[in-house]
Amino acid sequence: MVIVSFFVFLAIFGPSIAPYPPRDPVCFYLGCTALPPFQSLAHPLGTEPAGYDIYSEILQSARNDLYVGLGATLISLGIGVAVGALAGYRKGISAALFLGVTQIFFVLPALVIILLFARIFVTLVAKGLGLTMIMLILGAFGWPGIAFVVRGEVIRIRELEFVQAERAIGAGNQRILFRHIVPNILSPIIVYATLTIAANILTEVVISFLGFGDPNTATWGLLIQEGFVYPNYWWIDVFPGLAVIFSVLGFNILGDGLSDALNPRLRE
Amino acid sequence: MVMANEIISVKDLVTYFFTEAGVVKAVDGVSFAIDEGESVGLVGESGSGKTVTALTMMGIVQRPGKIVSGEIFYRGQNILKMSEDEARKIRGKKIGMVFQDPNSSLDPLYTVGNQLTEVVRVHSKISKKEAYQKALSLLELVKISEPEARLRAYPFELSGGMKQRVATARALAGEPEVLIADEPTTNLDVTIQAQVLELLKDLRKELGMTLILITHDMGIIAEMTTKIVVLYAGRVAEIASTKDLYRTPRHPYTAALLRAVPRVDVRKQLVPIAGNIPNLINPPTGCRYHPRCPYSTQDCVDQIPPLETIEGNRQVSCHHWKDLADKKELVIA
Repeated sequence: MVIVSFFVFLAIFGPSIAPYPPRDPVCFYLGCTALPPFQSLAHPLGTEPAGYDIYSEILQSARNDLYVGLGATLISLGIGVAVGALAGYRKGISAALFLGVTQIFFVLPALVIILLFARIFVTLVAKGLGLTMIMLILGAFGWPGIAFVVRGEVIRIRELEFVQAERAIGAGNQRILFRHIVPNILSPIIVYATLTIAANILTEVVISFLGFGDPNTATWGLLIQEGFVYPNYWWIDVFPGLAVIFSVLGFNILGDGLSDALNPRLRE
Repeated sequence: MVMANEIISVKDLVTYFFTEAGVVKAVDGVSFAIDEGESVGLVGESGSGKTVTALTMMGIVQRPGKIVSGEIFYRGQNILKMSEDEARKIRGKKIGMVFQDPNSSLDPLYTVGNQLTEVVRVHSKISKKEAYQKALSLLELVKISEPEARLRAYPFELSGGMKQRVATARALAGEPEVLIADEPTTNLDVTIQAQVLELLKDLRKELGMTLILITHDMGIIAEMTTKIVVLYAGRVAEIASTKDLYRTPRHPYTAALLRAVPRVDVRKQLVPIAGNIPNLINPPTGCRYHPRCPYSTQDCVDQIPPLETIEGNRQVSCHHWKDLADKKELVIA
């Protein structure tokens, strides 16, 4: 919780705290390139050979990483809940259809497709829309897991008597599903979504690291990729890497904590 | 043909459940008619089709169940022929239903007030304030103490009896003309049972409602109803006024049911009904009661007994009712 709050705080205020604007090769002009960390107060975490200040870049990246992680998760959540709810609530052919589509998306190698898309829409990447595109693609392929969770829970709730009672007062299917069933399964959805945020941040790092990201937008993955080229300058990789590890760990702990807190059986 | 005061009637209702194990013939040709203001008991053992009949009457049978054929008339309109939207206007508004288990028939996430106003708002556009007033008066109607505080309570904060009162209030929110109560007391303590039954009785008197009470408790039925429909394995065994049914059962199954009920005034051995309710995937041929019936003959195995109107005002479905009536075989005590 603390880690996540800190991370969100960085995402919001990072760019204003950061001493230099994003992607600003300050040291390129000042001649302080490839500076190791802890040697200069101006560049506490060192600099890259290209002149970027690592401390500043990490701060600048936090917002972008959260943007991708959270945005993609929200998209997945929207699709996943809708598809999962319908697959669980309907019976017969339409339910099978929804389930089938989910399964197809589930087995698709999402990462490969994402990389493919990133290549195809390389023009958009150049226009600075790369990050948004990655977010959209991650969101569009990340929903099957959520759909499965939702479907299972809906099936469980669907047969409870209060659902039948809702029908008996003349409530329509839409009302029953979205006003009564979905609210009753919010806690597993929230937990799953939290874990999805972490997974999405990681995937974004992978994409950027492989060089399919937007080279003009600072993200932790991009920093790691830049460091990868210079094996001798360990600090370029290590600090953004730590940022990734801690934020992902933070979201996972949060998800775990939420699942404990929201599960009444574990409360005693 | 429809009598002026007939409010609801079902004709040859057939509801099957299409499961993987086979077709469960839960309700297989049930017919009865209910007059306005009557209090009708639907009795039978577990699995005799009581609840499914009720759900069918509401038109809310869920898959794998399906209403195969039959007609349900509410004031002369066939509910099963209506569009879903039209039928929804009748559900809750004209026919209300109270379910078996008050612990699970309320959505745990909404307050009592929310759940009550929901019913009103599903059926009519009224302001929040009016809906609130309505919910309050409903709670007063079902005699809940401190109704204003209860409106803000969640179901888990209420006792079983109180929940059943809320569920009843909910069923009454649309001011229905018919209230179906599906074993409203099975999950309650005996003392609370009495209170809930008393409440239903009072409500019927006050609101002039028609009550359909589903139960397997013959004691409750005697207390609460004016007419009884006895179901056996998805078919009607006998329909008669409560008085006639208790005094002179005409169907061997009814007699057997009554003999299985303890009575304070008669010192007598209870007689359980031998055997079990048949498997409804492969029900017995002919009269479904024949494997358990002491009077069964070859006719009972071969032919389905028709539901005959006898003695003017009652119906029975038995090949031998006349013989048995003449010999006074079925007289209780």
